[in-house]
Amino acid sequence: MNGSRAVITVEALSKSRTGVPVLANICLTVAEGSVTVVVGSSGSGKSTLLRCLNGLETFDFGAVAIAGHRLSAGPHAPQLLEHVRRDVGMLFQQFNLFPHLSVIENVVLAPRVVLRLTAEESRARGLALLDRVGLRAFAEARPATLSGGQQQRVAIARALAIQPRVVLFDEPTSALDPAMSADVLDVIVDLAGSGQTMVVVTHDHDFARKAAAWVVQIDAGKIVRQGLVDEIFQPT
Amino acid sequence: MSRWIRLFLLVLTGLTACDFVGTWPQASAAADLEAVRDRGELVWGADQEGGGPHVFPDPDNPVMLRGFEVDLAAMLAEELGVLARFQQGQWDRLPLLLGRSTDCILNGIELTAQRNRDYRCSRPYYAYALQLLARRDSPLAAFEQLLTTAPRGRWQVGVLTGSAAEIFMRSRHDLAVDVIGYDGTIDSMEQLKTGVLDAAVMDDCIFTFYADRFAELRAVGRPFAGGFYTILTAHNTPQLAVAIDAGLGRMIADGRLQTLYDRWDMAGRQQILMLRDAAEIPASKPQSIWALCRETVPLLLESAAMTLFLSCISFPLAILVGLSVAIGRLHGPVSLRPLLVGYVELVRGTPLMLQLYAIFFLLPQIGLALPAIVAAILGLALNYSAYESEIYRAGLKAVSLGQFEAALSLGMTKWQALRYVLVPQAVRIVMPAVTNDFIAMFKDTSVCSVITVIELTKRYSVLALSTGRIMELALATAILYGAMSWPLSLLSHWFEHRLARSASAR
Ligand SMILES: Nc1ncnc2c1ncn2[C@@H]1O[C@H](COP(=O)(O)OP(=O)(O)O)[C@@H](O)[C@H]1O
Ligand SMILES: [Mg+2]
Repeated sequence: MNGSRAVITVEALSKSRTGVPVLANICLTVAEGSVTVVVGSSGSGKSTLLRCLNGLETFDFGAVAIAGHRLSAGPHAPQLLEHVRRDVGMLFQQFNLFPHLSVIENVVLAPRVVLRLTAEESRARGLALLDRVGLRAFAEARPATLSGGQQQRVAIARALAIQPRVVLFDEPTSALDPAMSADVLDVIVDLAGSGQTMVVVTHDHDFARKAAAWVVQIDAGKIVRQGLVDEIFQPT
Repeated sequence: MSRWIRLFLLVLTGLTACDFVGTWPQASAAADLEAVRDRGELVWGADQEGGGPHVFPDPDNPVMLRGFEVDLAAMLAEELGVLARFQQGQWDRLPLLLGRSTDCILNGIELTAQRNRDYRCSRPYYAYALQLLARRDSPLAAFEQLLTTAPRGRWQVGVLTGSAAEIFMRSRHDLAVDVIGYDGTIDSMEQLKTGVLDAAVMDDCIFTFYADRFAELRAVGRPFAGGFYTILTAHNTPQLAVAIDAGLGRMIADGRLQTLYDRWDMAGRQQILMLRDAAEIPASKPQSIWALCRETVPLLLESAAMTLFLSCISFPLAILVGLSVAIGRLHGPVSLRPLLVGYVELVRGTPLMLQLYAIFFLLPQIGLALPAIVAAILGLALNYSAYESEIYRAGLKAVSLGQFEAALSLGMTKWQALRYVLVPQAVRIVMPAVTNDFIAMFKDTSVCSVITVIELTKRYSVLALSTGRIMELALATAILYGAMSWPLSLLSHWFEHRLARSASAR
């Protein structure tokens, strides 16, 4: 990992739900500015791992050091979670845009209420981000009037608006058809190129190659393989 | 489309029907003397809540009624050769029983020109005078003091709704008093005792009867203005009316009525002297429809404004409390949740009328006397807050968990997520249900009349009785309710439509 600084260190993390192990002894390091792709069959625990990283879920053993914060096993203090989440963005398969707000309002909400920026500052930042994902023209539209791919790009702009050190993507394109997926993945690749640290759950090999990712393969809650993208995805 | 038309019709028919259904138990048509004799029963209407000395439940055996009018009814029935049977009704609406289930009304009904026009009034059977009451510690020492304001503003004076005391006090525009109508005389004495009222005015015999029970109260000055009690019968039973007059005449002549008054400690000899010389009271003329409108429409409009005011203040409060309770139950401290569940179940499980009674009549007992309007707003707001909390709870649960997690993932606190993401969406989801509840509250304001607030329904009931124009006024009242709730129905419909549209767009 080129010896650069680690932004995420997962130490022997284990978690079970109602007695069934979901994650077992996960150890993982994510370097600053790198892209980590997590692969694995459905139900293998990829989402759960990501949700443990930003505290949407708790775990039973081990520890997570992320963006300078430390999450331990068991329940987390609400204040710690707010700090973690300011530095860790998260994107979901279902976009989860706020339907009662316009596109630009979706993007500026967190800068306004979390970072307490002024209306002008946050709007300028929001418009710049919409520009970056190619949707500035839709700033005043309602999310429901956008295509799935457009919605996911708005969600990316929204996550970037608080300038997180790490962004976690949980299957950002699996609810989209291939054409729309490509648009979204282009945005993420572009983001990777600018040095944004990311962990991406995806099955898209092209994306992994373009982003020169470190690939982690999970099966039944355990890391079974990890390595550079060309080692893991050998042409068959 | 047809939904709100149906609602409107429901309001219209419900309103004309509901107000009087309560006082029409079963419509066994009353009949003239012949039929009374055939039946072997004289059915007489009275209100046992009205209290002594007229008609009240026997303290030792509450199933039995006692009072000088219970005795008088028995005596009168004997004169007609039949038995007396009691029919319960709300005092100010007793005359409406006539021609339905009841032959005569015998319950301290004061002889007035207006009653003389609308019903057959018997010859007087008792001479009453009006008495002003105050607490023993009150500065009120003479009736004339009511001409200038009390130390804490206008004098708050309680009267029995529909009584001569109310008519008299309301006609004295020169007095610095707010006249507050109660459904029972004892209620006004209670409220005077607890300090909600500054004074009360009632028939002297009532105070004499209760003077020991309300030892904190005293008569202020001598009784003033007075008149006679009469027995009411319907216009279409003239033979019964004649027989009643004849019976009363015999009871006065042979001293039985005096014995009766002496038994109830009501100065029998003095009574008989006054009854013997009782003056005729002329009947007032029926009003033209224009005079009726001129007299009643401003009052109806004023009361419609009260109905609007009560709902427009109470409902936002109900929403505020309801939303807080809903959020508390879903996201608040775990230790608080059983308390909130208890609150909702208690409020939902008890009638609004009981809650209003508790706030208005019980809180003063522990030193918290609220003006009727404040009590009404509080009662309505608390009552509806329980229902609104359930609606908002459902609304909050209908917003997907993903929305909450997305908000949290942006670094928001739980409260920020609620404020900016969950609640605004829940509010949109529940809007049709909430608007419907607003219409419901709007009509429930009529219950506030039990704590002396005069809103549209109460005003209708009072005016219908004082003018005898039951149908015309019912129609006017229904139109007023309809005109106020129709726009709300349209609004609710529009919200529903918008919600359906945005749901299909998603
Ligand atoms: N909310 C939940 N409640 C109970 N079990 C769950 C829940 N979410 C996921 N699981 C279970 O945990 C395991 C891992 O799930 P998940 O992390 O979503 O897998 P992946 O994202 O790799 O498909 C699966 O067996 C899944 O059934
Ligand atoms: Mg998943």
